[in-house]
Amino acid sequence: MSNSWVMSRCAVLALCLGAGGAIAQPSPLPAPTFAPPNLSPRGVEALAAGCAICHGPAGHPAPGSQLGPLAGRSARDIVEAMSAFKMGQRPATVMHQISKGYSEAEIEAMARWFASQGRAR
Amino acid sequence: MSVSRRDFLKAAGITSLAAAAGCAAPPASAVAEKARVVIVGGGYGGATAARYIRMLDPAIGVVLVEPDAQFVSCPLSNMVLGGFRSMGDITRPYTVLERRYGVRVAHDRASAVDASKREVRLAGGEALKYDRVIVSAGIDFMFDEMPAMGTPEAAGRVLHAWKAGPQTAALRRQIEAMRDGGVFVISIPEMPYRCPPGPYERACQVAAYFQRAKPRSKVLILDANGDVTSKGALFKKAWSELYGGMIEYHPNSKAVDVDIATRTVKLELEDVKGDVLNVIPPMKAANVANPFITANGRWCEVDWLTYESKVAPGVHVLGDSLQIAPVMPKSASMANGHGKTCAHAVVALLSGAAPNEAPTLLNTCYSMVSDTLAIHVASVHKYDPAGRTMRAVPGAGGLSAEMNEREGLLATNWALNTWADALG
Repeated sequence: MSNSWVMSRCAVLALCLGAGGAIAQPSPLPAPTFAPPNLSPRGVEALAAGCAICHGPAGHPAPGSQLGPLAGRSARDIVEAMSAFKMGQRPATVMHQISKGYSEAEIEAMARWFASQGRAR
Repeated sequence: MSVSRRDFLKAAGITSLAAAAGCAAPPASAVAEKARVVIVGGGYGGATAARYIRMLDPAIGVVLVEPDAQFVSCPLSNMVLGGFRSMGDITRPYTVLERRYGVRVAHDRASAVDASKREVRLAGGEALKYDRVIVSAGIDFMFDEMPAMGTPEAAGRVLHAWKAGPQTAALRRQIEAMRDGGVFVISIPEMPYRCPPGPYERACQVAAYFQRAKPRSKVLILDANGDVTSKGALFKKAWSELYGGMIEYHPNSKAVDVDIATRTVKLELEDVKGDVLNVIPPMKAANVANPFITANGRWCEVDWLTYESKVAPGVHVLGDSLQIAPVMPKSASMANGHGKTCAHAVVALLSGAAPNEAPTLLNTCYSMVSDTLAIHVASVHKYDPAGRTMRAVPGAGGLSAEMNEREGLLATNWALNTWADALG
């Protein structure tokens, strides 16, 4: 017991010294490595479900929405809009930031999924 | 409890769901139920999980345990304090979930989740058996760290209003009754707490009301943190440009208790009096989730692919009760995303399939800095298998360039669409 206490005190001391005697800073996290995207039908459905918070369930806007439907829009339209958001070529409040969180393959798969949803709810 | 309620709970808990009284029969109740999921808590996480499980697999029966008769949204509730929204504007029924999606809603309080017996016990005495349980019960307060706030004396006099509902309406009444020239004091706990930008938005909303109705009044922010914890530069700009000297910000001002009778917040080194006190005590995972708390005695750790508890097989935990992944806020957007990821995982697991190994979560949090102007913070989070956690995608997400009216409209747009995603 006393051994482990001594060990932990040594570790704390080493950390303090390592930081030049100042308060030890937590080491920054390593850069993330993400799992390869899941582009199975259920995987794409789960990915596209994230958009619902602003664009409505399955791309059908709730009554009173500010945004037009994603459901039933052509896949090409959606892909072009997302690419333009990513490149900063389309006016945006938040989509220029969110679009950068998705790969080209993910965007294409989500666009096809929204295109395949009927216009009607 | 009425007879029909008893029959309903009996039906939901013990016998065939088809017999449930008072429910329009959904298609699934005609077929044998292949598994039952009980969800504790009908907020952003739990209601979303309920709707998605029923959409993904109608053969799975879902019982949602929620004490409140209707859903009341925390997002936008600060606008009720400002007088720009009514309680009705932020209230939605559970009836679409029941009628259109065949979710059984048991309006009762879950008193315990028993992982060994695989049952959820209700305050009314009934026990609901489950194959899997989803605990999405939000937060409760650590009154041991702020004793006066847990006493009956505090009730109705010094409010937190950090769970939207009766306290929201009551705090609005206190603000309306306050004299012109009075001081509204809001006390913010140390991170982590539910909705990091919420207290700063609340300060804006109360100031917006004072500006119109009680222009000699002040808003005093006592923040236990060293600086504004979210959207700091944007909030500070709004405070100075929109409200002049009306909002006063004090960092490193940790409340340790409250004197209810004299309306005094006790800080570590001084006392601060106010006309209306809004004290948000430190918080932890909801008490019903206590058996699943594994981090700092406060929060629940989960497997981020399934949201299954690290200590209780068959028990999934969502939303504000979670020990967060790096830079993941305790937000409604996040709880909604947890609900969807968990629903997909639970449906897969109940079918003997593997869960999605690459979940993505999207966070967009708006704050209303006036009746019409808003700011946002957004982030995209993906699964990192090596760290077995969710990590923000570098380069994605960010803040508003400046407060603006378009985002004021998009904040309500977010609420309307997220409510539809959770409640149908």
